[in-house]
Order: sequence, then structure tokens, then C-alpha cells
Amino acid sequence: MNADLEKLQETNKTELERRGSIFNIGAPATEAVTTRDQIAVGFGDGTVRFFQSGSDPKTVKAHKGVVLSMTNYEDHVLTGGDDGRFLKISSDGNIEEIFNFGSKWVDCVASHKDTKVCSSGKTVYIWTKNKDKPQTLEHQSTVAGLAFDNKGKRLAVSRYGGVTVWKLNNNKWTASNYTWKGSHGTVTFSPDTKYIVTAMQENQIHGWRINDKADLAMRGYPSKIKSFTWVGDTPYLVTSGSSDAVCWPFDGKEGPMGRKPIVVANGGKELATFVKALNGEKAVFTGFTDGSVLLAEIDESKKPIMIRSSTGAEVSTIAISSDNSQILIGDMKGSILLSSLWADN
Amino acid sequence: MYKGGIYRTNYKEIDMENTSQVPVTVLTGFLGAGKTTLLNRILTEQHGRKYAVIVNEFGEQGIDNDLVVDADEEVFEMNNGCICCTVRGDLIRILSGLMKRADKLDAIIVETTGLADPAPVAQTFFVDQDVADRTKLDAIVTVADAVHLSSQLVDHHEAEEQIAFADVILLNKVELVEDNDIVKVNDRIRKINPFAKIIKTTRCDAPLDEIVGLNAFSLDRVLDIEPDFLESDHDHEHDDDVTSLSFVSDTPLDMDKFQDWFGNLLRTKGQDILRSKGILNFKGEEERYVFQGVHMLMDASPMGPWPKGKNRSSRVVFIGRDLDNMNLKEGFENCKSA
Repeated sequence: MNADLEKLQETNKTELERRGSIFNIGAPATEAVTTRDQIAVGFGDGTVRFFQSGSDPKTVKAHKGVVLSMTNYEDHVLTGGDDGRFLKISSDGNIEEIFNFGSKWVDCVASHKDTKVCSSGKTVYIWTKNKDKPQTLEHQSTVAGLAFDNKGKRLAVSRYGGVTVWKLNNNKWTASNYTWKGSHGTVTFSPDTKYIVTAMQENQIHGWRINDKADLAMRGYPSKIKSFTWVGDTPYLVTSGSSDAVCWPFDGKEGPMGRKPIVVANGGKELATFVKALNGEKAVFTGFTDGSVLLAEIDESKKPIMIRSSTGAEVSTIAISSDNSQILIGDMKGSILLSSLWADN
Repeated sequence: MYKGGIYRTNYKEIDMENTSQVPVTVLTGFLGAGKTTLLNRILTEQHGRKYAVIVNEFGEQGIDNDLVVDADEEVFEMNNGCICCTVRGDLIRILSGLMKRADKLDAIIVETTGLADPAPVAQTFFVDQDVADRTKLDAIVTVADAVHLSSQLVDHHEAEEQIAFADVILLNKVELVEDNDIVKVNDRIRKINPFAKIIKTTRCDAPLDEIVGLNAFSLDRVLDIEPDFLESDHDHEHDDDVTSLSFVSDTPLDMDKFQDWFGNLLRTKGQDILRSKGILNFKGEEERYVFQGVHMLMDASPMGPWPKGKNRSSRVVFIGRDLDNMNLKEGFENCKSA
């Protein structure tokens, strides 16, 4: 643990809340992503707001209904809405409509470098540089999650019955199927791209080792897992869905196979709803059903510290600025805390 | 606390205090029965109420509402050890999305395709915790075509299921049918479903307060089971016909025996039992217990003391296929306390 984290642990919740700013937007915060110098948050009233320390957020009226999905794209964000629009938005309020799907929702979005991806219904649409028309990838059921690997060569698409991993070769996408009974939601590649993991409709997460499709069934949760994040060099896959942050080790040849997870950040009777890694540290922020947020090291012997106290509304998003200086926490009632992580900032 | 093992969701306690749940009305019925007519009446006659309407893309057109969401009816099997547990994946996704809206909805209406089985829709509200927390199934309303229902019941399983699952049945287009034929189709419906409210209509002209805002799936509504329906006859021609059976006992039941029998019954025969409801008088318990089930899933809860001066009789109703081969009467009798 480095000196900065020690410094952070000396602070307390009143400190982080006291030195931060609280904004009451009045609509659920649905997604937050970090751009170069700001944190963009999508809301249930269709707005995207760009937050930056020391100034009021800039509001962009983007969608008619809910901002369902968001990702960063160069200096912009890409958003999908329940108004059927797939948008590219800049913090100065400039909106470019990439595509309009009409009455169909844009459920998921993803990007890698200059490639823009969204899903609507069972189809994934891929726009590459200098091409007006998207490539389309069809699936047997509605797409519930999208994730690129770190090189942008593979795109994981989760759906009912498993994940389709599309591989790009000579400008053509070829499919490989990873099957497991049940419905699969959010999907992620491990940082070393050896594993893919999904959060399921059932109270479990499921993983596959990519090269041999070996299954990893990670169960025992009292509720659905809505959020996961990769933490540290091991790395750990830290998940919500329990009264603790449940951390599965993905080191070695076998990853978490036959091993028990580490549990940190106990929320008592509250369930974890959102988890977010603190970049460069073996530590994770965990948000709970009552709005509280704990910071914990992935070490069961260490005590977590309170970052945000209870607001009565479930934590729906957490983002850290790209320079690791600011944290933004949003909840289902639309309360936003923006605060500096370090005492001397 | 993190615990190992699969968490099963085939039993849940409902939260009676949670009044912020948005009510969801499910409209079923064959194509042409009059679903869209009814839908537009609900939307236009209830001024000032904000509705979201979820329709399937093959459905009838011309819906008069700001917020109409297209859905593909995607029936997903749950991987939770419950063999007949299916849910509507599209509904989980859409309801979760609607609950993120800044403006609060007064109600949600789900229109199903003519050939849809209502079970996955109903089960979605039992199985998905987020859906159960934020919305509640208000009622399943089935619009039946008085002219064609009899032949549809012969030709299509789905027609029987839509009648069996209904809390309210609009027997529509009665102006096109002779009176004695209406009596026949009414009796046919009663054999399948003894507790649905049947409203005879022309152009779905039923009072809307008998269609929406019913809270038909809340457990306290189970107390409305009327004893008149409990004399069931079940002469039918095919084993796969949907029928109903009901039983009454003035002798208190033994709780352990009932739980053993009923739990095993739902586990082994839940696929054929479409709906079940009951009020139970357990020996040594001051409170009434009520339950209701959809296939293998069920809600159950104590529901306050028995009303003074009223008979403490247990009443149970089953709607399903092949009920005669489940030894239901014998099983229920065996639960009586010694």
C-alpha cells in the first residue's frame, strides 16, 4: 500500500463529504464514465452531465427518456437511450446522432479506439473509422452486454444461453460460442484476456477460460450481481450482490477454480450494488443499497473506511477521474457526490 | 454474509408495506378478441394517469399512448433447479429500464401476443427480485371472444392457459352470440377457472375499476375466495384439459404435514398445476395463513387473526391439467390434524 492510500484512510466520511460537492439531480444516475478531464454521468431524465472539480456540471439534453448505456470514446461519450438513439456527445453540448433505431431501445454500447459499437434487440452494430454503414452481428436473443478485449480484436456479446466472442480477422468477424444455461447480462474480459465473465439473471456469475472454454461457476450470492470490477495485479474480480464485496482471485493457471473468494467491505444488512476499483491499488470502492460507500483493501484483516454515509437510495454508479484525484458517486434518487480523494488536493 | 450453495427463489415473502411499487396489468387474449380496444379505453378514459405500455412487435397497431415500448416475447428458462421456471427476459430488461425514468409511472400495461402462455409473465414477478421490489403484478386480464372461444379452447392450449391464469375475463362480443350460447361458454370458463371475475361486454365496455387497480396478486386478495365455487364437478373429455378442484376442511390442519405434502406436490407436479390458492387454518395457530402459487413458485404469509364469529375453515383451489391423478383430495385429507 502506498502513502497516498494511507493518507486516504486517515480521512473519514465527514471529511470526504465535507470537502466534496453534493448535487441533487432528481433523476436516477444510470451510468458514469471517465473522459480525459471530466466524469460524465447519464441520468433517467435523458441528460448527460459532465462533472469537473470546482465548477458546476455542464448539462447536455441528450435522450428523450433514460440514458440506458454509456461508454467513453476519445474525448467524447457514446450513449444509448430508450428513445432509440445512439449518440456521440461532447462536454460542450455537441450531439451527433450516430443512428436512430426508432421505437427499439439501444441497450448496450462499447468502443475501442475509433470503433463505435451498440446493440439494439438481437443485433450488434459496429461502425469503424471512415465508414458510414455499420457492420452487423446477429444473435439468437437480445444482447445484454458488450465488452472489447484490451486490443480491440475480440468483442464479447452476452445473451441468453451464454456469450458469443467475435474475433476480427482481415476486417471480418467470426463467432465462437461459450455456452452455459441461463441468461447472461454484463460481460467483461479479464485484464490478461484469458477469461470472460458474465453476471447472470440467476444470483451467480459465470466465467470461461477462453482457450479451452473451461467453465467457472461462481455462486452463493443472496441477490443478482449488477456490477463487477477488476482490482490489482493478481487480479481479483470484485463483485456486488452480497453484503460484502466478494473478490475472486484470477491468478495462476486455474484462476478461481476450487478456491474461495475473499470477502471485504461488510455492509451489515445492506447489499452491495456497485463496485469500482481504485486504479493502481489493491483496493475497491463498494456502494450499498442504502447509499453508503466503503473503501476496502483486498485483505480480510484490514478495516474498510466509510467514504459516503447512507442516503437512503441505492448506489447506482461510481467513477474515478482519469488522474485518480476525484471520485463521483451517484444513486437511484439522483444524488451525486463529487469529491477529491486526497486530503491535500 | 456470503454463503455457499445455490440460492433458490421459489419461496419469497412479499413486502406488504411497499407502496411505491408500480402496478402492472397483463392483457392476454387471442388476436381479434378486443385487447387493443380495451387498452385504448384504459389509456384514454383515465385522464391524467401516466402509463407505459409494453407491446410485442407482432401485435395490433394503433395504441394511443406516449410511452409504448416494443418487446420481443423472450421466454427464458431459469437455471435455478426449478424445472418449469420460465420468465420473460424482455420484461425484466424493459421493467428495469422503465424504473430508471425520472418521471414516475402510475401503471404499466403488458400486452401479450395471442398465442402467449401467461405463466412466464406471472413468474417474472415472483423470480426477479428487482422487478418484485419495484413493480407488482396487479392482475391478469384476459379478453375472450364470445363467438370463437369454444373452438379456440379445443384447438389451442394457450387459450386454456389464458383463461386459467386470468383474474378477470372479459367475455367480449356477447352481442353477436345467442343467450343460451353465452351460458354455455360461461360454464366452460367456470370449469377451467372458478375464481376469475367474468364480465360480459360489447366492445370491452366494462367499468375500468373492475379491470385495473385490482391488486389481485396480493396475498390478502386470496381471502376473497368464495365458498360457492368449491363444489366443483370435473367431467371432461381429455386428460390434458385444464380443470379446477377445490377442497374445504373445518378440521384444523397440521402445519408440518401440509408443508410436506404441498411442497412435494409443487416440486413434482408443479408443471401441471397452473395456479393454486388457499386460506389455511393450522392447529395451534391464531392467524390465518394464505398462499398462492404459479406453477412451482409461490407466495405465502400469515394474514392476521380469523374474523370473530366466522368459521375457521381451510379452503384450497387448484387449476391445472391432469389434477385427477395427483391424489389431491387424499393428500389434503391427510393434512388434517389428529
